[in-house]
Amino acid sequence: MYTLGVDIGSTTSKAVILEDGENIVASSIVVATVGTAGVEEAVKNVLNSSKLELKDIKSVVATGYGRMNYDLADYKVSELTCHALGVHKEFPNVRTVIDIGGQDAKVISLAANGKMTNFVMNDKCAAGTGRFLDVMANILNLQIDELEIEALKSDNPANISSTCTVFAESEVISQLATGRNIPDLVAGICKSVAIRVAALAKRVGIVEEVCMSGGVAKNSGVRNAMSKELGVDIVFSKNAQLMGALGAAIYGFKKS
Amino acid sequence: MWHCLETLKKVSVSPKEQLDKYLSEGKKVIAVAPVYTPEEIIHAFGFVPMGVWGADIEINESKKYYPAFICSIMQTVLELGIKGKYSGVSAIVVPSLCDSLKTLGQNWKYAVKDIPFIPMTYPQNRKPDYAVDFTVEMYKRVINDLENITGEKFDESKLKKTYEIYNEHNRVMREFSKISEDYEVSAADRSAVFKSAWFMLKEEHTGLVKELIELIKKEGKISKKLRVYTTGILADAPDLLNIFDSNNLQIVGDDIAYESRQYRTDITNGNDLYALAKKFSEMDNCSLLYDRDKKRVSFIIEEAKKKKADGIVVLMTKFCDPEEFDYVPIKRAADEAGIPHINIEVDRQMKNYQQANTMLQTFADMLI
Repeated sequence: MYTLGVDIGSTTSKAVILEDGENIVASSIVVATVGTAGVEEAVKNVLNSSKLELKDIKSVVATGYGRMNYDLADYKVSELTCHALGVHKEFPNVRTVIDIGGQDAKVISLAANGKMTNFVMNDKCAAGTGRFLDVMANILNLQIDELEIEALKSDNPANISSTCTVFAESEVISQLATGRNIPDLVAGICKSVAIRVAALAKRVGIVEEVCMSGGVAKNSGVRNAMSKELGVDIVFSKNAQLMGALGAAIYGFKKS
Repeated sequence: MWHCLETLKKVSVSPKEQLDKYLSEGKKVIAVAPVYTPEEIIHAFGFVPMGVWGADIEINESKKYYPAFICSIMQTVLELGIKGKYSGVSAIVVPSLCDSLKTLGQNWKYAVKDIPFIPMTYPQNRKPDYAVDFTVEMYKRVINDLENITGEKFDESKLKKTYEIYNEHNRVMREFSKISEDYEVSAADRSAVFKSAWFMLKEEHTGLVKELIELIKKEGKISKKLRVYTTGILADAPDLLNIFDSNNLQIVGDDIAYESRQYRTDITNGNDLYALAKKFSEMDNCSLLYDRDKKRVSFIIEEAKKKKADGIVVLMTKFCDPEEFDYVPIKRAADEAGIPHINIEVDRQMKNYQQANTMLQTFADMLI
């Protein structure tokens, strides 16, 4: 039995086809804002690469910010529920999930059986999210993928506000003007995200193992800063950005 | 839909029509600001007390008087006043129960010239005898102002009938809340019943709610939804209420200032002003009523347990200091009691409920 999970985020759309709730048959990540174009392309990609048709799919589950507007979905499920399911499948020992997406950050506590026991999410603020990194990369004239490379070169991260993206933007521009080098600024930016989200994570309580999921998890600069802030190792999967879509597909399997 | 419920829902979304109706009947209407005002005095005068708790509107004019970081309920009350939406109202009574309310009265005097402001100053320590005496004196100040503004004379003997009406309304509202624990009553319908109470004479409202209770008992369905207990100042935004309904969450009880907190305490100490002041002194379990022991915290936990709530939803009005101070002990107590809880920030200017939707949907998943 095949199930399809789609995660329509604020900056990317992800799709995963899962066979019998276990094997990832196909996956796709398409950079696009919330809307139908990105998710349609992601779904087309996974159907093409799996050589399946929509009629072969037993259940379609949508998650992410755009889930409510996705008409093909049999179920529309919160991204926290889906990230919890996705991470538990990949890392059964994980008890704390930190998901930093394009627009928000969430921390989820899991029981040994994978059931969510608590969660917290930031509210209406770009600080500590992927959007924060986008803004900063733009100021520094870097691609988002280059942030990770630059951060690794630094041994003295700059102090950047973790309170507000607008304040942080001014700080970065000021520090650039005073000649601060790019790697230190990028490492400071990653640290700023980590400080903000670590504070959120401490509200629910940190229990190891701790996993980072979501697009920002791919940035080792943020992962390392987070590990330092929380004083724990961070587990990470190459599928970090797909966890929501994977969880959605698992949800579909469980419901079928 | 049942006719009585339809009427309550219609009233809940059309306070202006209600105001015009009462004015056309030759009645005088007095606006009552949050959270507790001596409505009974206004009613005994023969006037109509109508609640003003602001609205989900854009704030422009009141920004001249308020900083951005203040309760949006207050801001929108002033905004509506400045824009003439309360035109026809004879006066507004504003109590002194929090710092924001104090500034509402101060700003109202300058911003809304055509509707006189009447202060109702409550004692911080409301329980001792001298505090009850103080409250009586402040009631007399309200009465004096109402007499001067309207030209009507207050007759204390009318309080007896008013107290009967208000006690009966309290009883019926408690009964409605009770029946909503077990029967399927949507969050939107439940809110409409509480909201409409602010825009109707209590004797009229009581009749409709009694009728509704009977219909629910006779024809209602037993709820099989997830049970949540809500707490906060206000919970009347349609988009927010729809989130409860679409996520299979039934509100089985509340500690909302706009809702059940109004109806917990009856007048039982006579038929004079002292009895009303005594009622105020006996009120408890509210963030705006000073209590160094914070008994409200255990009250919420016990109520949630009694109502077999699966979880507690804290609806935190943005920039409400009294509620924010109470949140920490409430959170700790809920953790200790093992009751799942969630804190969702709300205000009068929220246009997008996407985050609230995600949080409540996830909370519902967690409760299953």
